[in-house]
Amino acid sequence: MSYETPDVDGYSPISVLVSAVVGVAVALLSVWWASGFGPFYETLFRVSPTVEGGGVGSDWVAGNTIPSLDFLIALVHAADVIMGVFILFMVFLHWASFRRIAARMRHPDESESGDAVMADGSGSGGETE
Amino acid sequence: MTNLDHGKFTRVTTLFHSLLALDVFLLFFTGYAIMFNSELWWMVTLMGGATGVTALHRAAGLGLIALIVFWMVLMVISPTGRSNFGEILPRKADVDAFLQDVQFMLGRTDERHPHARQFAGYEADEVPLLSYVGKGVVFIFAIELLLLTISGLLIWSKTGLMQYFATRTAAMAFVIFHGLLGVIMVMGVMFHIFEHGMHPAFYPVETKAFIPRSMIPESHDEDDDHEGTGIEALELAPSWHSVSTIFGSLVVVGIVSVLMGSIVREGYPVPRELVVSGDVTNLLLTIGINIGMFVLFVGIVLSMYGNVMRVRWEKEMQQRQREGETVADGGEPQSDD
Repeated sequence: MSYETPDVDGYSPISVLVSAVVGVAVALLSVWWASGFGPFYETLFRVSPTVEGGGVGSDWVAGNTIPSLDFLIALVHAADVIMGVFILFMVFLHWASFRRIAARMRHPDESESGDAVMADGSGSGGETE
Repeated sequence: MTNLDHGKFTRVTTLFHSLLALDVFLLFFTGYAIMFNSELWWMVTLMGGATGVTALHRAAGLGLIALIVFWMVLMVISPTGRSNFGEILPRKADVDAFLQDVQFMLGRTDERHPHARQFAGYEADEVPLLSYVGKGVVFIFAIELLLLTISGLLIWSKTGLMQYFATRTAAMAFVIFHGLLGVIMVMGVMFHIFEHGMHPAFYPVETKAFIPRSMIPESHDEDDDHEGTGIEALELAPSWHSVSTIFGSLVVVGIVSVLMGSIVREGYPVPRELVVSGDVTNLLLTIGINIGMFVLFVGIVLSMYGNVMRVRWEKEMQQRQREGETVADGGEPQSDD
C-alpha cells in the first residue's frame, strides 16, 4: 500500500485569480440579492386589535406556528446532540491515542543518546535547544 | 521515500485555510455572542453592542461567501483541484482506520492505521493525503458552511425572511435554526484544535496546514530499513503532559457546555416550555461556554503561531540555500548550531 501525493505543481496563478474574482463577485451579488428582498406590506402586520384578527404583536402570542420549521429545529437539535456525543468520543479517542504515542517518545529527562531526530528531520534532536 | 510527511498543503491551500479560520472564528465569536448573549454579555459589549455584533457578523458572512465560492471555483477549474477530489472520497480503509483507532485507544493494537496517522515518519509512503478524520472534517465543514451560508443569507434581510415565514416568531425561529446548525461546527472546530494542537509529535501546532509542501524537502535516503514510524526518536516537549491535560479538559468542558447551552437556550421568543433559570446550573453554563470561547481563542493563537513558524521556516530555508551555494563555491560551510 503506497500513496503518492498527486503529481501536480499546485495551483496556477490564473486559476487562483479567476476563482478569487468569481468568489468576491458571487458574495457581493448574493448579499445584494438578499438585501433586495421586499416584503408584501399588505400581508404583514395588518392592524387589527385582536389576537384572532391577527393584530400587531399577535404573532408573538401565537408563537412559531409553522410545522416544517418546528420539525427542522427538532431535527437540528437531535443532530447537535448526536454529533456532540460523537465529537466528544473523538476527543477522548485522540486524547488516549496521544498519551500512548507520547509514552513512546523520548522523555526530556532521559539520558541523551546521539541518534535523536527532530520533527523536521534534522539530526540534532537531543542535544541542543 | 520521504520521511517528512507534513507538507501536504499547497501554498494557496495554506493561505485559504488561515483566512477561512480567521473568518469562521469571527463568525463564531459574533454569532455565539448573539445566541448565548446572557453567558457572553461581555463579548456583545466588547464588539459594540447588538448593532456592532450583527454588523461584524454580516461582514464576516460576506467574507465567508467570497471564500467558499473562491474555493469551489478553484477546485473545479484547476487540474490540481480536480485531481485531488478523488482523495476526499470515503473508502473502506477509513472505516477500518476508525475501528483500529478504537482498538489502539483500548491498547489492543500497537499502531494506528495508516489512514489515521498524523505522524507517519519513516512510513510516510503508506499515509494518504487525508486521514479518515481529515475527510470527516472536510465533509462536515463543507455541508455546515453551505447550509449556514444559505440560511444566513435568508436572515440577512429579516423582512425578506418574513415573506417566506409569515410571522415574526417564525422568522426568529429560523434564526434559531441557523444558530443551532452552527453548534455542530463549533464543537467540531474545538476538536480540530485539540487534534492538531496536542499531538505529542507536533505539539503545540501541526505545521502541515501552514508550511506549504513546496517548502518541505523530501529525502530519498537509501536506508529504508527503519521499522515503524520512528516516533521513539523524537523528544517529547517537557510541558506536553500538563498542557495537553489542561487543554483536553477545557475542550471537553467547552463542547459539553455549548451542547447544553444549545439545548437550554432553545431560543424561541415564545418558548414552548417555561425555562426556570438563575440557579447554579446557569452559573456553570456561563463558565463552561466562556471556556469554550477560550478554546476557540487558543485556536486563533495557534493559527497565528503556525504562520509565524512558516515565516521562520522560509527564512531558514533561504539561509540554508545561501550557505549551500557558498559551500558549492568552495567557501566556508557554516555550522548552524
